[in-house]
Amino acid sequence: MDRFQTEPKAEEISLLMDGELDAERMDGVCTGLRDAGCTATWVCYHVIGDALRGSAAPIRGFAERFHASLEAEPTVLAPRRRPAPAAVALAAAATVAAVSLVSWVALTTMPGGDARVAAAIATAKQASAIRAADARPAVDNEYVLVHQEYSPSTAIQGVRPYLRAVAAGEPDARP
Amino acid sequence: MRALSLKTDALDGTLRGVPLAASLLVVLFAAPLATAQVAPELQRAAEAARTLNYVGTIVYQHGNRIETSRLVHLADARGDYAKLTNLEGPAREVIRDNDEVRCYYPDAKLMRVEPRAFHNVFPALLPQQLATLSEYYTFRKLETTRIAGLDAQAYIFEPKDNLRYAHKFWIDIGTGLLLKVRLVSERNEAIEQFAFSDIQIGIKVDRDMLKPPFPAPPSDWQVLESPPGEVVAKETGWVVKDMPPGFAKIIEGYRTLRGKPGQVAHLVYSDGLVAVSVFIEPSPPTPQPVGSSQQGGINVYSRQLNDYLVTVLGEAPGATVRQIAYSVGRR
Repeated sequence: MDRFQTEPKAEEISLLMDGELDAERMDGVCTGLRDAGCTATWVCYHVIGDALRGSAAPIRGFAERFHASLEAEPTVLAPRRRPAPAAVALAAAATVAAVSLVSWVALTTMPGGDARVAAAIATAKQASAIRAADARPAVDNEYVLVHQEYSPSTAIQGVRPYLRAVAAGEPDARP
Repeated sequence: MRALSLKTDALDGTLRGVPLAASLLVVLFAAPLATAQVAPELQRAAEAARTLNYVGTIVYQHGNRIETSRLVHLADARGDYAKLTNLEGPAREVIRDNDEVRCYYPDAKLMRVEPRAFHNVFPALLPQQLATLSEYYTFRKLETTRIAGLDAQAYIFEPKDNLRYAHKFWIDIGTGLLLKVRLVSERNEAIEQFAFSDIQIGIKVDRDMLKPPFPAPPSDWQVLESPPGEVVAKETGWVVKDMPPGFAKIIEGYRTLRGKPGQVAHLVYSDGLVAVSVFIEPSPPTPQPVGSSQQGGINVYSRQLNDYLVTVLGEAPGATVRQIAYSVGRR
């Protein structure tokens, strides 16, 4: 197999976390996670996500332990060691405030001595963009209500689709 | 990251007790129907939803959540009225009076007034739309079963690609009213489902049953009134370069929306069963979170494009709205 093909891009790691990765890339990306740089990116994204969702429960040295246990797993492809990517192309743009929050969380929760993890922190610090899926925007009801006028499936349901707009338990919805 | 979706089997109480082999046979031998046979069923359902009087309890399932609501519908010489009340949690209500919809959010002390034109798409399905439907979906008549104590006929639209959801409908054999509808993902998970758990059709409905919670909102409530107006049809200069096959543009123009200072470009594409809207507005002064979000069966994807904010939404899989969002550009 082409070595280059198995190396996951940062965006693919993001897609994997969201369950949106194409099935044919699944094996390649999972194998690629054995690489320390990719592990750091993976952990970094989770720290970002937890921080943005307000559920951050930082565990010191998690990235190292995670990587060590992955290394202990039997390896088929035995990928070469390489430095963490200098710049990680992050999935999508978000607010500056979120970025500084990420940097703070990353700095206070990830082990500082490890150059590989430090690179990931630097990525988060410098990023002008963060994983969009973690800062899920609230659904704009103006848009949803206007859209429903044109939806054929709304036509046969009468007023029922309005349940979407008033459902109390919808996490992305707001009044 | 995402709300867990229930497996369809877990949602489908109606098939319980029916031997598996028997239900499989129904699926295997339900021959696809011609789209010409689809139109009357959907038109009848759309007509029934609008012209019958009915009162019922709706169980709304989305992701791993379940909510129940009460629906009262009245049709008379003056038109079409409906009231939808949440039975759990905050007593949110939706009241429709012909082309005006009011949403009450007592928990947020907020009332929305929406002037809404309902474009009844199904009663006027064009031959072209029917052709599109049969090109991208297989339509089957499935089992008959009981929903809310009534005999119902099940139908399914199964997509021929993974750009669309499957739609399963259960229609009351007696009146044609839609009793249950389910959106199913390509992973065979129910994304969203509306189902009556009890319903009375053709009963006398009092106007009192459709009364709003108060004649005028209390002074501490916020009232958000949408500017009236539909899309002013016009070329916007925006285009979706890589539109998934089967989606045809049904409208393009500008509209005024509450909370948006400028005109918003609005383009709507439909495959005959669902619609996807593309909104383009000048970037708001404060940066907005972008990416994907979800409201029941509606997936939303927004992204920054130069000085504009592009938002795409519709009853289509997340990957489909995302693909559309990334192929919006200038003509």
